[in-house]
Amino acid sequence: MSNETLDQINSYLSFKLGGETFAANVGKILNILEMTEITKVPKAPDYIKGVINLRGTVLPVVDTRIKFGIPPTEYTNNTCILVMEVDVDGEQVQVGGLVDAVQAVLEIEEDEILPPPSIGSKYRSEFITGIAKIDDKFIMLLNMDRVFSADEIISIKEKTGETIKTKEEKKQTEKV
Amino acid sequence: MTSLENIQQKFIEEASDNINDLENALLLLENDPEDMEIIERVFRAMHSLKGGGAMFGFAMLSDFTHHMENVYDLVRTGKLRITKDMLTITLDSVDLMKKLLDMDEIGSEETLREYNSLVSSIKGLINGDNRPDEAAVSKPAEMGSFNGQQGITTYYIQFVPDIDIMKNGTNPLFLIDELHSLGKTLALVNTANIPSLENFDGSKCYTSWEVILSTDQDINAISDIFMFVEDECILDIHKISERDLLADERFTKMINDAFLPGKEVRIAKITEITGSLQKEDLSKKVQSAKRKVNGKDNAITSIRVSSDKIDQLMNLVSELVITQASLSLYADSMQTADLQPIGESVQKLARQLRDNAFSISLIPLESMITRFQRLVRDLSEELGKEISFTATGTETELDKTIIESLTDPLLHIFRNSIGHGIELPDEREKMGKNRKGEITLKAYYSGASVIIKIVDDGAGVNPEKIRQKAIEKKIITSDSVLSEKEMLNLLFLPGFSTAEEVTDVSGRGVGMDVVKRKISAIRGEVDIDSEFGQGTTITIKLPLTLSIIDGLLVKMVESHYVIPLSIVHKIYAVDHNRLSESYNNLLVLDGDQIPFYYLREEFNEEGDAPPVEEIVVVQFENVRVGLVIDNVIGEYQAVLKPLGKFFKNQEIISGTTILGDGSIALVMDTNKIINQFSNQTKIMEEAK
Repeated sequence: MSNETLDQINSYLSFKLGGETFAANVGKILNILEMTEITKVPKAPDYIKGVINLRGTVLPVVDTRIKFGIPPTEYTNNTCILVMEVDVDGEQVQVGGLVDAVQAVLEIEEDEILPPPSIGSKYRSEFITGIAKIDDKFIMLLNMDRVFSADEIISIKEKTGETIKTKEEKKQTEKV
Repeated sequence: MTSLENIQQKFIEEASDNINDLENALLLLENDPEDMEIIERVFRAMHSLKGGGAMFGFAMLSDFTHHMENVYDLVRTGKLRITKDMLTITLDSVDLMKKLLDMDEIGSEETLREYNSLVSSIKGLINGDNRPDEAAVSKPAEMGSFNGQQGITTYYIQFVPDIDIMKNGTNPLFLIDELHSLGKTLALVNTANIPSLENFDGSKCYTSWEVILSTDQDINAISDIFMFVEDECILDIHKISERDLLADERFTKMINDAFLPGKEVRIAKITEITGSLQKEDLSKKVQSAKRKVNGKDNAITSIRVSSDKIDQLMNLVSELVITQASLSLYADSMQTADLQPIGESVQKLARQLRDNAFSISLIPLESMITRFQRLVRDLSEELGKEISFTATGTETELDKTIIESLTDPLLHIFRNSIGHGIELPDEREKMGKNRKGEITLKAYYSGASVIIKIVDDGAGVNPEKIRQKAIEKKIITSDSVLSEKEMLNLLFLPGFSTAEEVTDVSGRGVGMDVVKRKISAIRGEVDIDSEFGQGTTITIKLPLTLSIIDGLLVKMVESHYVIPLSIVHKIYAVDHNRLSESYNNLLVLDGDQIPFYYLREEFNEEGDAPPVEEIVVVQFENVRVGLVIDNVIGEYQAVLKPLGKFFKNQEIISGTTILGDGSIALVMDTNKIINQFSNQTKIMEEAK
């Protein structure tokens, strides 16, 4: 399947990360793995947990929490590795991302997706393709290519210190 | 890609091969301008370029090659002689042909200009005064006579006349004369039966003859001669060869050797001689036939496979080897009588398959030699130097990825040798050297490595000059004492160039350091040896393949690591206390002081170390350095897999490998580890 076709898919996989729900286009996601043992690579950046053996290929695994600047927690039974194919400098690279829990595959039509708020937003719009409201909850649709091609730890929020709750409340009040 | 483009792409690939072949043949022709076989090869390559070019829409290439072909057609038929000029023009044409294959270059004005100027020089060649002299013209004539030989047969005739033959008025000598009229003869007279003088009867014939006759007549013509004497002699006629044996010097020599005056040579001896000759010829024929087949087998017995496919195959094989390792592990643990032999045969097959697959991706060094030959030729001409280039061991095979990354550094080394190494002819003469400089490339296997040496007999490197330069560039201080070897190694430092002025050839300050870096990138090593005034030798040591290494599997904390076995010197078990108490990270092992790095600490690992740890002593440049790990597990054949783009800043780990149980081991790049950590300690010390 060509990338264009993949990009046109309206299905999104939602997952939890530090109490907040994000979603990524399923076209980017190749696989969902259970948490396995990860081989640590010495002197690697903090957000890279290490590598795993994915059917004979060596897959780097990123702790998405650390990458997003969310404090790391213990891994649970729900912790998963999302295997994604992302575009890094024009090259397709496979990478695994640790997430707290995978939730559901959602059909989100294009007209349901709101543009990322540009002014007064707590989110860096370059990492977010849009926001969708599902069952009265807002879900960030992430641009995985951008998220994973950035070298450093990216703070997905531009300002820190605001709790998710206030953000959600604010969103809702904005909507109202 | 449309189908036309597809086909064109195929043609371009094929044409590039043809052009390379052409270039190769031309360089051979330079050494041996009379070799018809090479001329044929040149002609053939041009011909297929012309045909293919016209067919696939490369009109300019086709037209151009047509002109070239005209020239070599004349050469082929002996009407034109190969000159140095002609070869230079042809080689330039080869360069142009390469451009004419490149869609982006075809239309450019420069190409057009080159095209026109070369076409006119080619036409000049045809009309010029390169007409051959008589000697060259006589060649085809000779060949004609050679062809005329067809249909000649050689016979052996033994003629033993009756002792009373002359009584009937027959003169045996006339018969021999008559034989002579049929063709070329070699008559051997047997006089053994002639009695002593007192018993000699002048009316009797005591003599017999053996005649070797090569003639275009058949056997009946010969027996006709003897028709009337048939009953009065012993006649024996044998066909001994289908060709003119008497034209063969070896045969006449052997016959003369076998012929002792007065003795019969006898048919047996002759057949023996012809037999041995035939064998010799046959083996020659077989060889030349083989050669012919080999010439063709590029098309017949080899197939063109895209390197992607080979990479895929290699990946699959690597995976199979890994899977097999886990199968063996499982079979061993199960203790099932049936399973173990299966596991073993799978292991055997996997190993064979692996070796086979790896050999597929090996290509001989030969593929890159043409470029060096060309470089030497062009550059030496430009610089007014006389250089001969020889290469030995070019059949040595290396992984294709290694060959690819090797070309640039080697070209650089050659440029250095031509530019700085070899002196001008007059200078050389003054120094008592041959006017013609020599550059030699030697390649050979050495264990699991390939060694490539580039030797020149030029000026060599002046260590004093390096020293001054290094002081000038503040790399060393004026009071530092360096061995000659250390001095030479300075050449590999970035920004170091001893050339007095920046030239087009070399000396832009990006010299040997780039060579070293590029060669290290393919896990190779480069070393320089030079004797001032005598020449320079550059030695490159390369691994046979990039995808598999013999390693030492070690464990530290929870992770497995692989250390390349080739650099491991010795392993010692050491008490943890001895390490933690040692001063300045130095340990005395076998009477030597060995600096060591405590990898748990360097890798920022947490947790308690085991009471006894192991220290792996590895070779680092000229010294031995210890690396402390928890424990050594054993030898391991590691199929290397890259760590991936996400770890692009990760230098201390050169790759990964998958172990039999599916977990991952990291392959240490010990040179980088030692470099990195020694720099860190230096920085820390300086900070203090």
